[in-house]
Amino acid sequence: MAKDVKPTRKELMEIEDRIDLSERGHDTLEQKRDGLIMEFMDILDQAQEVRGGLSENYEDAQRKLNMARAMEGDVAVRGAAAALKEHPEITTQSKNIMGVVVPVIESSRVKKSLDQRGYGLLGTSARIDEAAEAYEELLESIILAAEVETAMKKMLEEIETTKRRVNALEFKLLPDLYENQEYIEQKLEEQEREEIFRLKKIKAKKEEEEKAAKEAEAAETSDVEPVTADD
Amino acid sequence: MSQEIAVIGSPDFTTGFRLAGVRKFENVPEEEKDAALDDAVERTLADDDVGIIVMQSSDLDHLSRNTRKSVETSIEPTLVTLGGDAGSSGLREQIKRAIGIDLMDE
Repeated sequence: MAKDVKPTRKELMEIEDRIDLSERGHDTLEQKRDGLIMEFMDILDQAQEVRGGLSENYEDAQRKLNMARAMEGDVAVRGAAAALKEHPEITTQSKNIMGVVVPVIESSRVKKSLDQRGYGLLGTSARIDEAAEAYEELLESIILAAEVETAMKKMLEEIETTKRRVNALEFKLLPDLYENQEYIEQKLEEQEREEIFRLKKIKAKKEEEEKAAKEAEAAETSDVEPVTADD
Repeated sequence: MSQEIAVIGSPDFTTGFRLAGVRKFENVPEEEKDAALDDAVERTLADDDVGIIVMQSSDLDHLSRNTRKSVETSIEPTLVTLGGDAGSSGLREQIKRAIGIDLMDE
């Protein structure tokens, strides 16, 4: 890198400007990264809570479904499942956390009352109702988990890119720029020293020439004078 | 835009969700998982009406590497896995990579 730059004062000024900008960018990005990680920690706590609830709900729902199956038979349960009329729907909105767009998922028609389910009351037993209720609860926590986990994934992606940028600035761009700056400064100093030396040489040469000229003149006058003095 | 929840897995796994009203589901019998699960997941991923995919975490092992990666990193739809430990769907790995510490370690 250092070999690509021209050792001129203009280039040095440009590099100094770039160093200034990169350092400011580096500080800002570092702050962004730290902020993102702090936000992420909050979400992580939430996620762990949601996850705990989720596995609890899942076990409960499975147990109830197995019970329904054992008591009513597989066909009855499947028949009831196929008869469902109301279907849960989710709508996604977005929220902004430090420039990261994370989803806010809202659900509708997850929890249903007995008569909304649509499989009829007479043909089925309370066990199927219980299983259906447990699964509705499970769906609710799944929706919550989806929201939190998507937010986490997006935050992690942003943290990764920010971290990469910070590291690129810190370990690649800035060191290169500093190296170039030093290279140019040394080159310029070297040139200055050469210039001074050259001037000194020229001065010495001129002085020598002047001295020689003076001596020659003096010799000329001393050659002519004795003749006139004797007369 | 309103979306739906999709469930992929063995018939035993999906029945419960259908009881709660989930309409989109892919039944893949246990013995066909190695062959058919990939296609089922790809089909669901391509469906714009699906907002959340629910799967059993052990089923992820039946997926091919590419499909597994795309479903794990997918944000829309989001994958939620059930069963297994909390470090679900590659999230734990991603945290380790981005933050540098295994935060899911309990």
